[in-house]
Amino acid sequence: MTITLKVNGVSRSFEVEAGVTLLELLRGAGYVGVKKGCGTGDCGACAVLLNGRAVNSCLLLAARADGGEVLTVEGLAVGERLHPLQEAFLDEGAVQCGYCTPGVMMSAIDLLAHNPDPCEEEIREAISGNLCRCTGYVKQIRAIQRAAERMRGDGSG
Amino acid sequence: MALHHVQSVTRPATLEEAWGEKEKWGKAARFLGGGIDVVLYTPPSVESLIDLTGLGLSGVTQDVAGITIGATTTMTEAIESSEIRAYAHAFLIDVLKEVASPLQRNVATFGGTLGSAHPWSDVIPALLVLDATLILYDGAERTAGLEQFLADRARGRGTGPIICGIRIPRALESSRGAHAAFTRTAFDVATLNVSCVAPAGKSRWSDLRIAVGGTPGLATRLRDVESAAVREAMSEEGIADAAASAVNARDDARASGEYRRTVARALVARCLRRISEEPEGNVG
Repeated sequence: MTITLKVNGVSRSFEVEAGVTLLELLRGAGYVGVKKGCGTGDCGACAVLLNGRAVNSCLLLAARADGGEVLTVEGLAVGERLHPLQEAFLDEGAVQCGYCTPGVMMSAIDLLAHNPDPCEEEIREAISGNLCRCTGYVKQIRAIQRAAERMRGDGSG
Repeated sequence: MALHHVQSVTRPATLEEAWGEKEKWGKAARFLGGGIDVVLYTPPSVESLIDLTGLGLSGVTQDVAGITIGATTTMTEAIESSEIRAYAHAFLIDVLKEVASPLQRNVATFGGTLGSAHPWSDVIPALLVLDATLILYDGAERTAGLEQFLADRARGRGTGPIICGIRIPRALESSRGAHAAFTRTAFDVATLNVSCVAPAGKSRWSDLRIAVGGTPGLATRLRDVESAAVREAMSEEGIADAAASAVNARDDARASGEYRRTVARALVARCLRRISEEPEGNVG
């Protein structure tokens, strides 16, 4: 079957078998920033935005996303200019092995789009579907706080 | 590939088309709401998936009769709904925030949750105590109480209608509710869960509703306990003891029936305490 998606702002058509997940489609198309972890919706490594909301792409059939807009971690930077969230992750040292990082970022992008000034509890809740075995989450939370400040433009962060 | 056996995924634009597709494929068809359960649990016999998200069944509306939640409304959309926030002191929002993670709540739908009807569902006991009614379509539109729908489903009768929406009655809009689930980890499914609702403006526990799920069977109302609470003017402890005795608790790999009864007593007591202690004006 043919599926049409706008991925990172670019409209594309994909020929896929009916039972393919969005994760399989995206990785097969070269969007390897989308990570495969558990495959059962527990770890969040595969998170992408579908129509503005963060979802587990491993639990979503590609056909279910047909006609939608997908944002992956590859779509955050503009050319060589990193997204403020990516900059904040670098500044705070919030990346260790990095496998969970794209998924955590996509959950954070969803949060900040709907809540530009989240408290720590709201950040913890927003990334509660993303498992990280390295950082202990503390630096990731700081990075999201710093990104929120920068994106609001109310401080040097 | 996740689902090798699936040959067809369609997204009908009308209920008639969706039902026609279901009739065409028979038992090899499965309706698709958010689709999480379909990816995780679909048996190899399923060859056709019918995506219901093109039917315009998303959204929350309110009228004189109460609130209607469209079947393809996601958990997140419901959490963000002002109508649901204002209903029963945001009881449903408190429940929905306990369901999985935001990543899954952004996809999971009410229709999918009720269609799957997992015994550990936190949403089902909450809707049972709210006297939810389902709007169904199986060639013609009809309504059925949630309890009846679940009973029919368990008996293998009436399975397969399209769930179009869920109605919760205005009569309970001022109620206070509480939900408690016993899980091993934050995202684990419930070993046992309890929902209680007590309508406002009535004498203490005079119109209490209790539902217990994960027994390990599907959630059910404890109507005998609800009646006894009024008839015998029971205390909170008495109600919790009666609920523990009445719950149809059985052994499985997660817990023994005896353990579940003990958990039921604790969770019912916890819910009743929350309802009685909740300050006026606290809408979560």
